[in-house]
Formats: sequence, structure tokens, C-alpha cells
Amino acid sequence: MASIYAFILRFLLFIFLQVFVFNQLEINPYIHIMVSPLYIMLLPFDMSVIRLMVVSFFLGISIDLFSNTFGLHASSLVFLAYIRPIVFRWFAPRDGYDTIKTPSIFDMGNRWFLYVFGILLILHHLWFFTMESFSLAELLLILQKTFPSALLSFAVCIILQTLFLKKSK
Amino acid sequence: MQNLIAFIQKLRVFFVFLFLQIITFTAYISFMTVPKSSYFTTASYFSGTLFEIRHAVTKHFNLEENNHNLQLENIRLRSQVPAYLYEAGRDSIIHLDSNYHQQYQYVPATIINSTTTKRNNFFTLNAGSVHGIHKGLGVFSSNGIVGIIHACSEHFSLVKSVLTSDINIDVMIEGNGAFGLLKWNGENPNKGQISGITNDIKIPINSNVVTRGGSGIFPRGLNVGKVTEVESVEGKSVWRIEIQFSEKYAVLENTYIIKNLFMNEMTALQTKNQGY
Repeated sequence: MASIYAFILRFLLFIFLQVFVFNQLEINPYIHIMVSPLYIMLLPFDMSVIRLMVVSFFLGISIDLFSNTFGLHASSLVFLAYIRPIVFRWFAPRDGYDTIKTPSIFDMGNRWFLYVFGILLILHHLWFFTMESFSLAELLLILQKTFPSALLSFAVCIILQTLFLKKSK
Repeated sequence: MQNLIAFIQKLRVFFVFLFLQIITFTAYISFMTVPKSSYFTTASYFSGTLFEIRHAVTKHFNLEENNHNLQLENIRLRSQVPAYLYEAGRDSIIHLDSNYHQQYQYVPATIINSTTTKRNNFFTLNAGSVHGIHKGLGVFSSNGIVGIIHACSEHFSLVKSVLTSDINIDVMIEGNGAFGLLKWNGENPNKGQISGITNDIKIPINSNVVTRGGSGIFPRGLNVGKVTEVESVEGKSVWRIEIQFSEKYAVLENTYIIKNLFMNEMTALQTKNQGY
């Protein structure tokens, strides 16, 4: 079960990247790059939703421990895990997903990844910033944060994949 | 009964989702308002130590600016020391030391981790309960106020900075004494807002904003910033006041934690007379 160790290692890598690299990268108040959704995205196709949510919860809590967000990352990642199978179903190929493949840009193609991960990322960011502001009076600010942040997060996630992933056989 | 079980099984995923959301939700609310411990924050022993290691590398990045600020503060303080002043009225005023009691105690602390662009920004300081620090103390720097201690562990403490949505420090306009509450709308880490000043009071642009000292956390007259914009709010009798913070929080490193020695006396008096 070499892949389990790979997933644990990747888990730690994503915590490190989020906390010590992207949380420290403070460009302006409208941009908050979050790469942790990519970890949840790349978990295998046949993983059950409950397991996905538990993994997301622990990844989120670990990031929250280091960024004074007290559960925001956990909450939004659990939400992401909850909607992942739903969005996957919308864009499923005619004969279902091949479970040997991973949901990465290399295995599933640019178009599929752009739609699926784009939708997931925007919803994740929207959930995160709404929880963070915690007031509907700041709706404009929430939207002003969601779209630039999601765009940059998406770009960074693609770069991370090209750096660390290969097409699976 | 069987229907119920079938129903629950069908919604099992949703219930797990709901359960996890409730956990994170309660954690978020309780830590934002009244944290009971420092375990879940960067002031905990584990993450505090990690950030201290990181700080050991990054602390020199803003050294020049920080040193310059400390130098300016030294000059300002030096100009107030009686030994360096020219005595104008000889023998006319006699200072008696027993006339003055020490009201504030200061603990120096360094910011080892901070954010300035999130909606709610917290700073981690490398001083904790072993230095006599506890929840609710004020934190300020050479140029202005920084925030209020939100939680603390043995060696680290977490500051709820002025860059949070519900910081609500009472501030006043120097000159006319109009007072309101300091707010931050999350859009610019250099600009804050004051709410609650009624529009029958004239607020000159560029007037200084200082702490009012009403809650006893900060002394009266600590610098906060300068008024940059005064606008009327439609349908309300209050000004919308925009201020420029006098401190640059993004590069800030050296802070002082301030402890009011008369705090207990003051709160006791206020709670005793509540309702009158």
C-alpha cells in the first residue's frame, strides 16, 4: 500500500504549502490563495463521501491550527468534499469514471478539469469568505474576494500539478 | 420505525456533513468571541514554536524600518525627559515624586507571526502567561495601537489586532473630544473606520485620532491614526469617518503589552454602580 504513504506525505506537504507559503503571501485583501482544495480534488474517484469529508476535516483543522482561522478551512473543505461527488456526476463520461485514473488535469483532460475544479473551487472560496465575513452586509466584499482568489488559486493548483504529478498509466 | 431507519441511512452523508459543519461552526464562533484556551491558535506551544523558528529567519527583513521607528520613538521620549529640558521657571514648580503613582506596566514583545490581508487578522507574540500576560490586555507599538490580547499560552499570546471586524476600541478625535468605536471593514490594512460620531460635531480632516481610555485597557491619548475622510450617511445622523492608521501593520515587529494596575479597581467600581 505505497499509495497510502504517498497520500499522507502529500497531506503534510499541502499543510506546509498552505501555512508557510500561501498564507504568508499577502498581496492584497482580495487575494487569498488556497491550495488545499487540490488535495481533496486529487483523492481517488472511488473514495466514499464520508471518508472524503473526514479527511477534509482533518486537513482543514491542521491548517486552521496554524492560521488563526478557528475552523474556517475545515468547514469549507468539508463542504468541498460534500459537493465533489455531485459535481463529478454532472460531468461524468458516458460510461462512468475509470477508477484507475485520478481526477487530475493529466488524466481527465484540460476541459473536464477546468469545469469541475473551477466550479468546486469557486464554491469552496465562496463558502470560506462568507463564513469568514459572517455578515451579508459584506456580500460585495465577499464576491470581490471570491473571484480573484479562486482564479489565482486555480492557476497555482495547475502549476502544482505540473510540478508534482505525472499521467497515470 | 423501519421507514425512519431507511430515511436516516439515505441521509447519512448529509448528517455527517451537518455534524462536521456544526463542530467547525461552534469552534469558529467560540474562538472568535471568547476563546477558552490557546490550543486551537498559533499561540499554542506547538505552532508558536514553529513560527518562532520561521521568525528567526524572517526577522531581519524589515530591520531597518523597525530600527528607524524605535529611534524616532526614543527621540520623542527623550525630548520629554526633564533632565534634557531647559528649566524656564526656576523654583516655581516643585515636582514631588509622591504625587505620581505608576498606573501602567509594560512588557515588550515581538510579533512572530501576523497576517494583514485576511478578514480577521491575528498576531502572535512571543510573550505569554509566564510574563504576566493574560486575556484582555492592550498591545501597542511605537506609532500606534495594535490590538488586544485574545488568548495566551505559557510562552506565546495571540493578539486580536485592529484589523478585525469587531475590534471596537473606543477612540476619540483629538481636539474636540468626539468619541466613537474603531472598526475595520476588511478592505485596506492601512485604513480604519470610526462609527458612532454624530454629525452635529464638526470633524476637521487630518485631525489626530487617539485612544479614549474609557475601558481602561489603553491609557488616554495613544496614537491611532489621522482622519482622511468624513462623509455623511444617508438617513442617519452619524458620520462615516475614514482614518489612516499611524502604524504600518504589515512590517510591524516590536510591540509593548500594557497592563493597567488600577484595572481591578476600575471594573469593580463600574460593576458595582451598574444600573444607576
